[in-house]
Amino acid sequence: MTPHDWYAEHRAAFVARALDAREERLFADHLGRCDECTREVTRLERELGWLPMGVTPAPPRPGLTHQLAEGVLRRRSAWRRLAPTAAAAAIAAAALGFGVHERQRGDTLAAELGRREAQLAAADSERSGQLASLAALEDTLSVMRQAQHVVQQDIAMNGHHGRLLIFQDAASHRWNVVMHGLPPAPAGEVYQFWFITGSGMVRSAELRSGGSGAALAMVSMPKVPGPVMGAALSVEPAVSRSVDQPTGPMLAHIEF
Amino acid sequence: MPEQPLSSRGELAAVPLGVAGQSTLRERLLARDERALVELIELATPWLLGLTQGMLHDQDEAEEVVLEVFQTVWDRVGALGEGHEGLMPWLLRVARNRAIDRLRRRSRWRRKAARAEAYGAAGGTAVPFREPDEAGHPGWHVHESVHAALAALPEEQRAVVRLSYFGGLSHSEIAEQLDLPLGTVKTRLRLALDKLRVSLAPIGDWIR
Ligand SMILES: [Zn+2]
Repeated sequence: MTPHDWYAEHRAAFVARALDAREERLFADHLGRCDECTREVTRLERELGWLPMGVTPAPPRPGLTHQLAEGVLRRRSAWRRLAPTAAAAAIAAAALGFGVHERQRGDTLAAELGRREAQLAAADSERSGQLASLAALEDTLSVMRQAQHVVQQDIAMNGHHGRLLIFQDAASHRWNVVMHGLPPAPAGEVYQFWFITGSGMVRSAELRSGGSGAALAMVSMPKVPGPVMGAALSVEPAVSRSVDQPTGPMLAHIEF
Repeated sequence: MPEQPLSSRGELAAVPLGVAGQSTLRERLLARDERALVELIELATPWLLGLTQGMLHDQDEAEEVVLEVFQTVWDRVGALGEGHEGLMPWLLRVARNRAIDRLRRRSRWRRKAARAEAYGAAGGTAVPFREPDEAGHPGWHVHESVHAALAALPEEQRAVVRLSYFGGLSHSEIAEQLDLPLGTVKTRLRLALDKLRVSLAPIGDWIR
């Protein structure tokens, strides 16, 4: 067996992507140097090209093909992502129970944000019961305005459709996590926010959805080695706080 | 496999000519005809979505991958004339590679769940995929041919193809999943792919 036999034997596996990561890198490096393997791999790709059509086609949800065309042609950077200002304003409004439409332009929303903040500042004693939460919201808003990365994902729970927004603040290394549109968690369960890290899932804050349908949490980065690669939201039994892995239904799974 | 520059790999090739005198979709894409892109999206999306949803089990992520695929096509439209790979196989390959990349970036916990689902779907049963339910769909005849080719494989080979090609699992992950020696998995996959190459060869492109 010559050293090259290994490559010759694993061409189909490379095309199928059945090689482990290390082997795949090895093979890809080899392709750059070997015309014979490059030729054979190209041939295999062509011959197996139709295999993925063994799946049953999935009808796109209404509007998706239009959205895709728009996404390509207008190259909206905002595929499920919003500019920080617009997103901050939209969620501030959502959290306060105002129905600002997220598709409004950022400047309109910025003005809206200013107005809402003024309303917060003007909150009087009649609303004393809300002052503590409003103060917390103000703090959140101030951080949101500096957010350098905003990610959102639609979420659904028992027929309710909501959204999870994450504002990453590079300066403070805090994330502001907002969930809205979902009902309070079922009895005995909680909405649990997770970090996805190089060392696995790390439990973070619970998100409590109140009567307004919005929940906010400000979370610090997990104390584990390696980068944070994403975030997830699941529904967990309220008693499972000692468990360090999600066990319940996953509502969102976002990778950055 | 990791994507390589389209230009160096000679992809998106020879889509057969349609009615004489009429431009093919490929030619219209080359001419940056936006309506051609819309047509391509309408034709290909159900297949790309079927693939990516089946692999990722996450509709949002599946749609993101499909968007990326069309963005890649549109960005590299200048390379459409090179090579010998059909338009549709190229789209499928890019989509599958992107979906596998995403699967492999997921945390271990998530991947284990995906593996369990992939195996559950394989289920060791005789029928690897859902039965056809949309026979009028463009490209359906290709699906039927692939279905027949897969059905002709011995069950143990089909299970390995299912986990590898549609579940994105590597040899060693399949071995772990099926509790088989690594060598057995490698052999089964190689035999299966050899047979599939022969049976899929006569399929021609259906996007003109
Ligand atoms: Zn070689």
